[in-house]
Amino acid sequence: MNCTKIEKWLSDQIDGELSERKTRAIEAHLEKCASCRSYAASLEKIHDEATSLERVEVSPAFWEGFASRLKANLESSREERKEKRALALSWNWVWSGAALLAVVAVGLYLLLFQSPQPQEMYVFSLENSLASIYQEIGDDSELEELFNSILVESIDEYIGDSEWKERPDLLENLLLWEGLTEEEIEFLESEIKKDIKS
Amino acid sequence: MKGNMEDCSDGHLVEQAKQGDVEAFAELARRCQEKVYYTLLALTKNQQDASDLAQEAFMQAFKSLKSFKQRSSFYTWIYRIAVNLTLNFLKRRKREEGREVLNESHSVNKESEDPSFSPDERSLKKELSEKLQEAIDSLSLPYRASFTLVVFQGMTHGQAARILGCSENTVSWRMHKARKMLQARLKPYLGGG
Repeated sequence: MNCTKIEKWLSDQIDGELSERKTRAIEAHLEKCASCRSYAASLEKIHDEATSLERVEVSPAFWEGFASRLKANLESSREERKEKRALALSWNWVWSGAALLAVVAVGLYLLLFQSPQPQEMYVFSLENSLASIYQEIGDDSELEELFNSILVESIDEYIGDSEWKERPDLLENLLLWEGLTEEEIEFLESEIKKDIKS
Repeated sequence: MKGNMEDCSDGHLVEQAKQGDVEAFAELARRCQEKVYYTLLALTKNQQDASDLAQEAFMQAFKSLKSFKQRSSFYTWIYRIAVNLTLNFLKRRKREEGREVLNESHSVNKESEDPSFSPDERSLKKELSEKLQEAIDSLSLPYRASFTLVVFQGMTHGQAARILGCSENTVSWRMHKARKMLQARLKPYLGGG
């Protein structure tokens, strides 16, 4: 049996990684090889010494300091992340809000200035876009609150700047974008989705 | 609340932490901070570096928690982050030269203080343990990292391999080579054995 191979197996044996078959082969080899017996004894001694090296004990105060430092870092990281997400979301909302208002404007234009001839009806859905927003918000109540306030402010700003505020009949008809053509609806929906995903 | 956290499984805490629950992550960190810290201390030989790197590792883990799919345990995952960060830190430090050799003597031999040994035996053992510490410190990083994880942390070759990002055979080979180097260096102190 090759001594070099035995030396490698001896190392594996100390780590508890050697098969029974190889263990038996080592035992047989050691019986007749003094050099490997000496090497095996050296490794055992090194291992025993290494595992008995005492580590520096750290005081409980160290761990308290470690934990509070970590917690402070975690808190500030979470706040930072929340701010970034809120900013990203608000920009998304600005773009999707702009697209939404464009849809409404076109719908109203069609309502007010186009002949009232019957048209094919389409239902425009923001369901998928909103799903992305809700997914982003998740269970974060603060972010949800922020999202809602942005939503309210956007609508308020839009309505406040127009004379439509005094025209509740028009406000009730804000959903009249069904007058758009299929092509226009597809285009606007894809624009909104793109903005929300970006 | 804290009591509840202590009863939670790692998997549950990971899910909570993924939702941004700082307390849940702090509990996960508390469970393995000691092992992580001592491993990093064995690698860096410096308490401040070990502490800073452990903090950095936990923060990095928290920030990338969403990518953790729980295919391995949280313990293995954080260990891997911490050890990789430390190995990179040590490589960088070595490159920058001016490397502080911080002989904090972070280890002493328990037996060297043992009253059951005679003064001569104690002195010999102390010498051996000091020389052993020096010899371990002189191992190059891949060998020292494997030795630290397997001998000091009691990991299997497989566990060490997952943390170091190499194969079990590589760990096995590094352990063999590390022991050969230690044995050669310590020969004068190992007695007739």
